[in-house]
Amino acid sequence: MTRVRVTAPRQSATAAPGRLPYPREVTEDSDAGRIFIRSLIRSQLRLALVVACGFLIILGVIALFLVYGPGVAETRIAGIPLDWLVLGAGIYPVIGLSAWLYNRAAARNEARYRDLVEDK
Amino acid sequence: MNPAVGLFAFLAVSLATAVIGFYGLRISRTTGDFYVASRTVPPWWNASAIGGEYLSAASFLGVAGLILLSGTDALWFPVGYTAGYLMLLLFVAAPLRRSGAYTIPDFTEARLDSKLVRRVTSLVVVAVGWLYIVPQLHGAALAIRITTGLPSWVGSTAVVVVVCLTVAAGEMRSITFVQAFQYWLKLTALAVPVIFVLLVLAGNGTQPQAPLPVNPTGQGAAGVYQHISLLVALLFGTLGLPHVLVRFYTNPDGQSARRTTLIVLGLLSVFYLFPTLSGALGRMFAPELAQSGQADALVLLLPGKLVGGMAGDLLSALVVAGAFAAFLSTTCGLVVSLSGVISQDLFGGSVRGFRLAAVLAAVVPLGFALMTDTLALAGSVGLVFAFTASTICPLLLLGIWWRGLTDAGAVAGMVTGAFLCGGAMVAGTLMGPGNAPAWLAQPAAWSVPAAFAVTVTVSIMTKNRVPASVNRVMSRLHVPERPVATER
Repeated sequence: MTRVRVTAPRQSATAAPGRLPYPREVTEDSDAGRIFIRSLIRSQLRLALVVACGFLIILGVIALFLVYGPGVAETRIAGIPLDWLVLGAGIYPVIGLSAWLYNRAAARNEARYRDLVEDK
Repeated sequence: MNPAVGLFAFLAVSLATAVIGFYGLRISRTTGDFYVASRTVPPWWNASAIGGEYLSAASFLGVAGLILLSGTDALWFPVGYTAGYLMLLLFVAAPLRRSGAYTIPDFTEARLDSKLVRRVTSLVVVAVGWLYIVPQLHGAALAIRITTGLPSWVGSTAVVVVVCLTVAAGEMRSITFVQAFQYWLKLTALAVPVIFVLLVLAGNGTQPQAPLPVNPTGQGAAGVYQHISLLVALLFGTLGLPHVLVRFYTNPDGQSARRTTLIVLGLLSVFYLFPTLSGALGRMFAPELAQSGQADALVLLLPGKLVGGMAGDLLSALVVAGAFAAFLSTTCGLVVSLSGVISQDLFGGSVRGFRLAAVLAAVVPLGFALMTDTLALAGSVGLVFAFTASTICPLLLLGIWWRGLTDAGAVAGMVTGAFLCGGAMVAGTLMGPGNAPAWLAQPAAWSVPAAFAVTVTVSIMTKNRVPASVNRVMSRLHVPERPVATER
């Protein structure tokens, strides 16, 4: 066994063996397969955009609330100003929750696609 | 601070990194081993490794320094650094893993079937990498000056030498476990001193010298434009960082790439609590650091200042070690991914070429770092994110989600983004910090949409250049891997 330096992907076999995508005949080479893939891509994109927009809207609302919200500047919880608490800690669970919900929904889209292909 | 403490911590971390580099190669013996390992690395390790490589000088020193200076305005930085991974998860993680590409140029060549796009992407990736290494070296220069009193150039040169030795001797890339360890080292090095300082302050009932909401230098609040532009840069810059992308290859499939990213989000959220706490403590108990222009060194100086004595020295040593771990691991990750790109495109991918490329990848930014002054670390890294968001982000997002992208569109978009954002960076630097208008200092809000617009417009104009392989590549990117259970 010689030691080999890995600096680039294997051009010929980049996918891990045993985990190849679906056989070509049920995917891009048939009309039905093409439609399935297009709808999969579209549903994944729609999902990603919905989560991204939802998160950005929440972020925007938080930012506006911290700047213009009545009494925010004076509010303290356990001695810590509210804006510090929200920006320094409170936003992170929102990010994590968005990511978790997205992961579940994306996996569901893929499962639906798999069912479609296997029914064929 | 006791100079011996800083020097000792620095030498210990450098030595450890070099030793791991020399012996690390033995962990992965053959190409086959490396690819097999890619299927056995659990998401937890992978996520720690991504965190270890991502948390750079900007996160370790810069965020706390900026919070000391500008308070809640600076809290948006860690939020953006973390939320960038949410965007990466939503739009890039799984498809990119499924593409099987190892670097961004690999991906673009496969997607657009064009050597020219590959060349241009490689140039952009090298530019991003160099720009990102410079602040790491500035951080090292600052840390060595503050903690040992040695001249600044010693710090940056030492980091480059250690990185060159490590990368040329054995590749850091294959050593997921080392990078994973780095994350936990950085977290410990930041969390333990902060918690200790909090306990000491609570114990002896020290009263704060200044209220938390007041900026110690009297700096005004940033405008709405700056916030939006910064968030655009950080949210869309993360998904194009070359050293982050490489890590996704070690996930076994698209689903686990998503799971890994979710864990990364958790790890980053926990990590950023501590620079924020340091910054807040600095504002209340050591506001004079902001006046003396040592804000970025706040994390390093805080334990010595507030605890003092033997305990203070030990905690300082821990923080300095963590800081150098941050400079070294990020620089190593960048140099490895850059030299992969440089050696493939310039030297034909040989091992000798790889070593040459590694030296090239590290020495050029050293030149930049020695010629320029230490700016606010978090700010200069923010600009690199703006550059990535204006160049690589449109290419990746449109390449993954839009069949209509053409090679001409991709090149035009990248050149536009690089020209606009790079131009703004140069102009802003020439005018000097503080003098540049907001739209020049934070170009992302207009340069990113411009790059997207040009990419889409030129692609639509050159419709006939859509590669014939587009359907095959798109299905490869998005079709889930066959689950093991249903295998024939």
